[in-house]
Amino acid sequence: MTEIPSAELKMEIKKLIMNTLNINDVNPAEVDDELPLFGGGNKLSLDSVDALEIIMAIQRTYQVRIADQNLARYTLRSINSIAEFIESEKAKQHPETK
Amino acid sequence: MITIPYKHKMAAHCESGSITSLLNNAGLDITEPMVFGISSGIFFGYFHKMKSFPFPTFIVRNKPGKMRENLTKRAGIKFHTYTFKDPEKGRQMLNRLLEQNIPTAAQVDFFYMDYIPSWERVHINVHFIVVVGLNTYHYLVSDSYFPELVSLKTESLNTARFAGGNMSPKGFLFHPEFIPKDIDYEKAIIKGIKKSCFNMLKIPIPFLGVKGIRLFAKKIIEWPSLARDTEHLSHEIMKINILLEDQGTGGGGFRFMFATFLQQAAGMINEPELLDFSKKMMEIGDGWREFSLLAARFGKNRDLGPERMKELSEKLMDRAQVEQQFFSQLYKTIK
Repeated sequence: MTEIPSAELKMEIKKLIMNTLNINDVNPAEVDDELPLFGGGNKLSLDSVDALEIIMAIQRTYQVRIADQNLARYTLRSINSIAEFIESEKAKQHPETK
Repeated sequence: MITIPYKHKMAAHCESGSITSLLNNAGLDITEPMVFGISSGIFFGYFHKMKSFPFPTFIVRNKPGKMRENLTKRAGIKFHTYTFKDPEKGRQMLNRLLEQNIPTAAQVDFFYMDYIPSWERVHINVHFIVVVGLNTYHYLVSDSYFPELVSLKTESLNTARFAGGNMSPKGFLFHPEFIPKDIDYEKAIIKGIKKSCFNMLKIPIPFLGVKGIRLFAKKIIEWPSLARDTEHLSHEIMKINILLEDQGTGGGGFRFMFATFLQQAAGMINEPELLDFSKKMMEIGDGWREFSLLAARFGKNRDLGPERMKELSEKLMDRAQVEQQFFSQLYKTIK
């Protein structure tokens, strides 16, 4: 079973996104965990090229691959959904730790 | 009002997804990567000059419809297909099939799928959905790009099925007609792999398969001279990212799907070497994704000088080289 993603993981993801995209003018703590990251009211306003940058940064950092765009579209909805995806993929890779 | 009980599932690609979904709902336990691999979905083609395309373009999968045809040849699964000249007859036939509780796949222009946000919708005549219900004003639709069943206005579906232009759907419908009780998966998998290798290596046409990737690498240098201005070139270069990553899963995505197919096939035909090929193909998919990102960055920043075009060209030559090596080795192993 997948655990509820920790606040630390979510903060780590926010920092990863901001470092990857060279965003310096936003405080990670102000990025909402649930609001959409693309085109909708969050402190971060991202586009499709940013999405690909984030997909590859997530793969490099957490060794989890978002293999298709439909999965990407729903995984990259929000910080919460990214964290849930990482937790769930990690759980599949190391089932004995759960 | 008609609602056919139907188990909806998202998929990586609309055509392989709709075929898989129809087969699953008809009781066949088969995965989308297995459908894709058996039907030799993986491909490449570069089109530098074609009447139907105003600017050079490329494809990363086989022709729409081929997956279904190849599945019939290799696994014996038969589909009933329909096309129509008269939209009214096409509408009536779909409704009749639904009245008979037959979930039916339809080829549509993606632009009219009004449950998808408008900014994501473009005119593509080769999107596939499965229609599973009907009431006075709406059809009930299973679209592999969407997480749940959705309603689509009847007039939107009718327009989408009979949109004009390149590869117009002509009201095309299909549904499974016969599924063999015992599919010879070993034979089907081996044929699927062999044909994929043939398509990528041996078609004697200079713009198809690995040769097509090489041609793309050579010709992309000429793209600035074909574009009207920097904005146009930027748009076309950004489109590489869309074609590879966004529309129809993309080059990276199709390569990842083929990798999953090889992984599943390894167990099914007891050929452990395919696991190594699966890992290599995952890495190849990553390489396409890196190329796609590079193109997107250059396009977004309008950084499109000759040295950047050369960089893209070199990356493509690398892709050609690794795919040549991959499919040659795979062919020797499976022979």
